[in-house]
Amino acid sequence: MKKIYFDVEKCLGCRSCELACAISHSAAKELEKMISQKDKSLPRIKINFSKDKNYPMSCRHCKDPKCVSACMAAAISKDEKTGQILYDEKKCVGCWMCVMVCPYGAIRPNKKVKIPVRCDLCTDIGEPQCVKGCPVKAIVWVEETELERVK
Amino acid sequence: MSDVTKRSVDPATQEVLKHIEGQSIKTTWDRYEEMQPQCGFGQLGICCTNCYLGPCRIDPFGEGAQQGVCGADADTIVARNLLRHIAAGGAAHSDHGRTTAHALNLVGKGEIHDYHIQDEEKLIAIAKIYGIKTDGRKKEDIAADLGEKMQADFGSQQGPIKFISRAPKKRIEIWKKLNIIPRGIDREVVEAMHRVNIGVDNDYKSILLHGMKTALADGWGGSMIATEAQDIMLRTPEPIRGTVNLGVLKEDYVNIVVHGHEALLPEATARAAKDPEIIKLAKEAGAEGINLAGMCCTANEVLMRHGVPLAGNFLQQELAIATGAVEVLMVDIQCIMPGLVDVAKHFHTEIVTTSEKARFPGVTYVHFEEHDAEKIVKSIIKKAIENFKKRDKSRVFIPKEKKDLIAGISTETIAKILGGKYLNTFKPLNEAIINGRIRGIAGVVGCNNPKTTHDFGHLELVKELIKNDVVVLSTGCSAIACGKAGFLQPEAALEIAGKGLKEVCEAVGIPPVLHMGSCVDNSRILIAACEVLKEGGLGEDISDLPAAGAAPEWMSEKAITIGFYFVASGVFTVFGGPMQVLGSQNVTKFLTEDLEGITGGKFAYESDPIKTAKLMIDHINRKREALKLRPMMYV
Amino acid sequence: MKQIVIIGDSAAGVATVEAIRNKDKESKIIVLSDENFPSYCRCVISDFLAGKVSEDKLIYRSQEFFKENNVELLLNKEVIKVDPKKNRVAAEDISENKKEDKKSKSAKLQFDYDVLVLANGASPKFPELPGIKKKGVFGFRTIKDTKDILQFVTMADSACVLGGGLIGLKAAYGLKKRGLDVKVIIKSPQVLSQVVDKQAAEFVGKRLSDNGIEILTGSDVTEILGNGDIKAVKLDSGKVIACQIVVAAKGVKPNTEIISETEIKINEGICVDEYMKTNIPNIYAAGDVAETFDLTVNKTAVNALWPHAVDQGKIAGANIVGENIKYAGSLGLNSLDFFDLPVVSMGIYKQTDNHEVLAKTYPADELYKKLVIEGNRLVGAVLVGNINQSGVFLELIKQKSDISTIKDRLLNENFGYPDIMDLTQGAERSYV
Repeated sequence: MKKIYFDVEKCLGCRSCELACAISHSAAKELEKMISQKDKSLPRIKINFSKDKNYPMSCRHCKDPKCVSACMAAAISKDEKTGQILYDEKKCVGCWMCVMVCPYGAIRPNKKVKIPVRCDLCTDIGEPQCVKGCPVKAIVWVEETELERVK
Repeated sequence: MSDVTKRSVDPATQEVLKHIEGQSIKTTWDRYEEMQPQCGFGQLGICCTNCYLGPCRIDPFGEGAQQGVCGADADTIVARNLLRHIAAGGAAHSDHGRTTAHALNLVGKGEIHDYHIQDEEKLIAIAKIYGIKTDGRKKEDIAADLGEKMQADFGSQQGPIKFISRAPKKRIEIWKKLNIIPRGIDREVVEAMHRVNIGVDNDYKSILLHGMKTALADGWGGSMIATEAQDIMLRTPEPIRGTVNLGVLKEDYVNIVVHGHEALLPEATARAAKDPEIIKLAKEAGAEGINLAGMCCTANEVLMRHGVPLAGNFLQQELAIATGAVEVLMVDIQCIMPGLVDVAKHFHTEIVTTSEKARFPGVTYVHFEEHDAEKIVKSIIKKAIENFKKRDKSRVFIPKEKKDLIAGISTETIAKILGGKYLNTFKPLNEAIINGRIRGIAGVVGCNNPKTTHDFGHLELVKELIKNDVVVLSTGCSAIACGKAGFLQPEAALEIAGKGLKEVCEAVGIPPVLHMGSCVDNSRILIAACEVLKEGGLGEDISDLPAAGAAPEWMSEKAITIGFYFVASGVFTVFGGPMQVLGSQNVTKFLTEDLEGITGGKFAYESDPIKTAKLMIDHINRKREALKLRPMMYV
Repeated sequence: MKQIVIIGDSAAGVATVEAIRNKDKESKIIVLSDENFPSYCRCVISDFLAGKVSEDKLIYRSQEFFKENNVELLLNKEVIKVDPKKNRVAAEDISENKKEDKKSKSAKLQFDYDVLVLANGASPKFPELPGIKKKGVFGFRTIKDTKDILQFVTMADSACVLGGGLIGLKAAYGLKKRGLDVKVIIKSPQVLSQVVDKQAAEFVGKRLSDNGIEILTGSDVTEILGNGDIKAVKLDSGKVIACQIVVAAKGVKPNTEIISETEIKINEGICVDEYMKTNIPNIYAAGDVAETFDLTVNKTAVNALWPHAVDQGKIAGANIVGENIKYAGSLGLNSLDFFDLPVVSMGIYKQTDNHEVLAKTYPADELYKKLVIEGNRLVGAVLVGNINQSGVFLELIKQKSDISTIKDRLLNENFGYPDIMDLTQGAERSYV
């Protein structure tokens, strides 16, 4: 499965990926219309800043997903075929166990709407929007095996 | 391969774009695509780079920083950024006015010989406003004094600037109460730049009120001075025929394109191009003669007064070069894309800059002085004639597309036409509005922008307005767009116009879309509004008028300033595409709602031209109701 | 080809099934559950009680899941006895009978096994006090409990919850949402005394009271009053509080009765080694019934928490099919959110003199972050209000990383995974 990786040497921390992510998950799908919505869709990707560098982070779709074990409502599951971690909003009860156990801090609560905010690889669009949204192409979407080649 | 029909609705533009595909010539549209994604924080106006505590950005989702490092919140940051834009836009127009006023003074003193006092009537009228004695004095002396007094408005400290007195009494009262009567054209710009420094003005309402003051110093100051001084020296425009679009370039002639905003430069160039000696040189070089064409506001200035053909508007500037038929592109100030240099590298075209303020790296600079106007422009024309020999004839591609038009509709001209031979009056227009043949007046102005389909916004909006019996006053690149589509041909426009508008236009002889000039000539629209009010029956203040403004494809900071001086003068103004304010809900609400209760005017942001038309028409209808005018005759 | 019997079909039981089936599609697996509903999300019953979630949403694994995985799921089977010498489990069908009426039994059932997994969980502790057996006194562990409570809710005005732990507060929340007047009676001076420290408990307690749930600390119920039905409870202070429902939420006890007569080592729960094996080689234990090594206090404990049950079941199942995977250990690990105040607590939440504490409190914004450090390791964390990045702290605790180089950054607002990247083993690649 193709996953999202980040080139820390290029990331400017401009947060355009955050905006692109939020816009693509919003109902309005346009920045200018989305901005006035009351309960805005939150970005699934977040920039962390550490040691003078910028580290974007989004769900790693782990091979051994801690969130799947921790979810007590069976809302998070792993698609055995693709390896993608899936989230069923209808089953979620907002207990935040997933937030608590994610070793990458890639899930956080949306307190207004009571759902966890986590990356879904934009499967409904077909291509992760953060990749397109990065002005310096610091985000790549590749199979892990292709990673060395891309570097 | 991009779809050219998505980029522009203008056939000439589409043709040239198609023609250069695959030639690795970059245009604005290509650079726009490359620039995606454009920064969302910038778009929302919540990025601040005013000081080195930053750069800062506000998190629009409420999770991260809600204040800049200094403590400024989204409201302050957005308002400050907007004020910077207003100051920058106002500075551009005003600087243009300053040079023109200075030239008027020198003409009066006799130090400049290439320009003269051509409109004595206007000279007297304007001199009176400045309190200058006119009885029994030579026009040159009056002009010298006027030029000096106009310049004084720039450096004035206490003010008020003189043209404010031309506004209706009620309007001046409103401005006085709000304390936004400009004290000096330069002073307001300087104070604007002061206020946006870190830790000065942090209250968005205060910032925006000063924004309006600064804008008024442009609209009723710098721009108006430019218009009037230009009219005095070069003649107040009267109806004149012209042609527009890239098809005005001629294969067998030496093509010179003047582009920019000054009126004095192209005026001298137009005269020089007719000089028989020059024409002889051109013929010797193998051409039929000199073909001078203009782009953008410079074009509008010479079109309005001399019928010089118009090659295109803002987004077409690179395409003119791409026809391969332009020997010299002569530019002065404002709206001249640095990208032209790259396009010119593919062709023989020489770009010549003429203003000390507007330099381009690696481009020929010929310093233009009003003192030596004729000599200088002739030297540039001679360059063009030389360059004609270098033209690669095989690469010439001039689209056939061009249209005739009528331009030159100054405020005075409207009064003349409406009044007939012996009278100057706005009465027929007022009556038409009062008795319901004409719904109202719309000002459709402004630039082009690759964010929307080129010219689509202007044309659809103008069509919809005149369909609904709204007479359209047009300037700048918007007017050029109308020209290209044939809307400035009275007969063609009348075919689309509503019944009432059609009747009036046919009866009094005005076209439904009136080309009033360049962007500084938006001040003509202000004066036209004042005249309509003076004529009576349509309220006492500009905000009473059944009128609205729109800039459907705006791009420059000058457009922001123009928008603000119209809104500050009481006019409902729609911008196609929001200013960078959406990051602050308070500022957005202030501009689009609260302002109406403060100045009588407000903004709306709408990118769909039909929806824009609806907003404007609804507004005009409301004003009609408030004035208790008769219902529209033809619904 | 083995025959594997698993007692319990909740988190631990299902995880065991999945881990076995990952490698072994052949061995026969029988899962016994004493409930009427197939595997459900036990922790969500409070939302069911509150009316936020419908019964069909409670499903954790459906009957189809068991069928597709070739597992025989037998519901309504109460295990009576485990006989390790005979490798046999004796159970009784309780579907027709009412649970209280033990006299009329249907046929006894017997299940032989090659491997046995005890994943039969824990049960609510009922305090010994007069009136505890009245109708209207409930535990809060099962769907049946919830449904029984809901029947009473229609006729009741007020309820008392005994115990201020997570289950007690969740029950109180559910009852409040159903329109009852609710009081929580707690012996200790704070809510959640086994979950969070005093400061966090203050924030939670206030949020609950602001939303109409009355908290009575330092009180204990001594008697449940009423003739037949419950009329009131009496406190140790002598005060009498009227109510019609009492929920006993004073903790759970691992269900070790079924092996009490065997040689399986029991402490508070069933003792297991790092491979989840009991002292009898073909018997494993996992989940709320098991007692495992707590890696924050370095001794064994029963940490009856859903994620642990899943992890332990996974490891038990993997080891049953021949892998040799060690369990790193459990720890306190709770997340809760009452009335939009998220709280996370992990590891040691109440420091002793042995510990160093880093803390940040913003009372007006109800924000609180406390980190408990022992030597050079993080051993506990409590977060209130902003629980972002909690998992990063959890990694530091679980991996016992040396935090001396990042100690000054731990409380930073933007502390996150990049700060610990060099200290910990991240299983997934993120950066190039």
